[in-house]
Amino acid sequence: MSLPLLDFVKTRTVLLDGAMGTELMARGLPQGTAPEAWNVERPGLVKEIHGEYFAAGADVVSTNSFGGSALKLAGHGFGGRTYELNLAAARLAREIAPAGRYVAGSMGPTGKFLKPQGEFTEEDFAAAYAEQARGLADGGADVLLVETQYDLREALAAVRGVRSVSLLPVFVTMTFNSFPRGYFTLMGDTVARSAAALEKEGVEAVGANCTLNSEQMVGCVRTLRASTDLPIIAQANAGQPVIGQDGRVGYSQGLEDYVRFVPEIVRAGAGLVGGCCGTNPAFIRAMARIFNNKERS
Amino acid sequence: MNRDELLRSMNEAIVAGNKAAAAALGAEAVRSGADLLEVIEKGYVPGLQRVGELWEQGEYFLPELISSAEAMKAAMAVLKPELDRKNIEARGGGKVVIGTVEGDIHDIGKNLVASMLQAGGFEVYDLGADVKLERFIEKAEAVGAGIICLSALLTTTMTNQKRASPRKGPPRQVQGPRRRRACQPQVGR
Repeated sequence: MSLPLLDFVKTRTVLLDGAMGTELMARGLPQGTAPEAWNVERPGLVKEIHGEYFAAGADVVSTNSFGGSALKLAGHGFGGRTYELNLAAARLAREIAPAGRYVAGSMGPTGKFLKPQGEFTEEDFAAAYAEQARGLADGGADVLLVETQYDLREALAAVRGVRSVSLLPVFVTMTFNSFPRGYFTLMGDTVARSAAALEKEGVEAVGANCTLNSEQMVGCVRTLRASTDLPIIAQANAGQPVIGQDGRVGYSQGLEDYVRFVPEIVRAGAGLVGGCCGTNPAFIRAMARIFNNKERS
Repeated sequence: MNRDELLRSMNEAIVAGNKAAAAALGAEAVRSGADLLEVIEKGYVPGLQRVGELWEQGEYFLPELISSAEAMKAAMAVLKPELDRKNIEARGGGKVVIGTVEGDIHDIGKNLVASMLQAGGFEVYDLGADVKLERFIEKAEAVGAGIICLSALLTTTMTNQKRASPRKGPPRQVQGPRRRRACQPQVGR
């Protein structure tokens, strides 16, 4: 049996994967279709993407279930298929994972708000995440990754929901924006407050993803490192989305500029590093080369 | 409370997101026979503008923005019947059609903008999420809207914002995740 991911993190920098949605679109996922639907409708293509990330050198891939919470799926009319679509998501990644590599069950935000800004309670959110976590855990995920959270209260509710149905390790990434005063979520949660609350809630790793480019991520990881002793996850965007002359959407930070900051992200204290929006297997391959040269030769 | 105190308190109530105070000050303005257009334009609106600045600076976040918009709406709910009764037309921003583009079900940003526009005196027609481009145009023509706002969170639906930017017709405002500045010149007409 391979080393549990939490022990593996102690041995070297762990390489995560990059974006999933854009890879699905590149393979023909129509606009407006829930990406999770492809876990049962086009499983071969989802597996192909995971396979490419593993081939690029990723130690961990995230399942195709970012929008797979019961509340988010309900927006597509799939609320009743939460368990099934998440089970399939984890199974696909598990089936293609080489020995000694890992599967993180991706759980993105519900896209809804808690009271008073929204109409939901923490219990509603916990239940929505619990249903998703059950599917991911049964499908063979090694860890449950609550990611891209913009509201600390939602993240904490998610962790409680996940804990109610699974004993798997829980990782949480929040998405912070950079301001002159520091890094804040959409709801105004700071890095320090988020890390402290999540640590208290008992999560096994915390981190930041999305929104920030790789250069901005360095400072955010530094702030995280100063706030917690937990392993730190960093998955930066490749800059901002822009529409090019050809009418196609691209990202403002090219591959070379992106990976230039990866060693700094690691030096700042990140133990699990991967990509987010705008990244693809080529980014992960370039990051693997950096890690191999530094740590694995 | 003299005029200056009233205007300052209105400004502060909006900045603080204090719905009850904003409404109570509106009621006091009505009771004391104050110039209602002046209290809107020199009392409440500067407060709303200040909130926008604080948001841009990273001092205010989504909860504060929503509270302030709610306070503004509460004030207007008190003033509007009185303005109507006196046949006074408050200077509004005009009519706006807003929605999230086809293929995208994300509505956080769209709701926020709709709320702020409404608070700022615009007449807002919210078409919801996953809206076909044709519906924006049809609605704008039907109600005589001068502005169409298109929201997209997904980069894959950003291109729909561009598709909705023809050479004629109402101006289109586009909106996306933290790319206000980055996106607009790209998609603009």
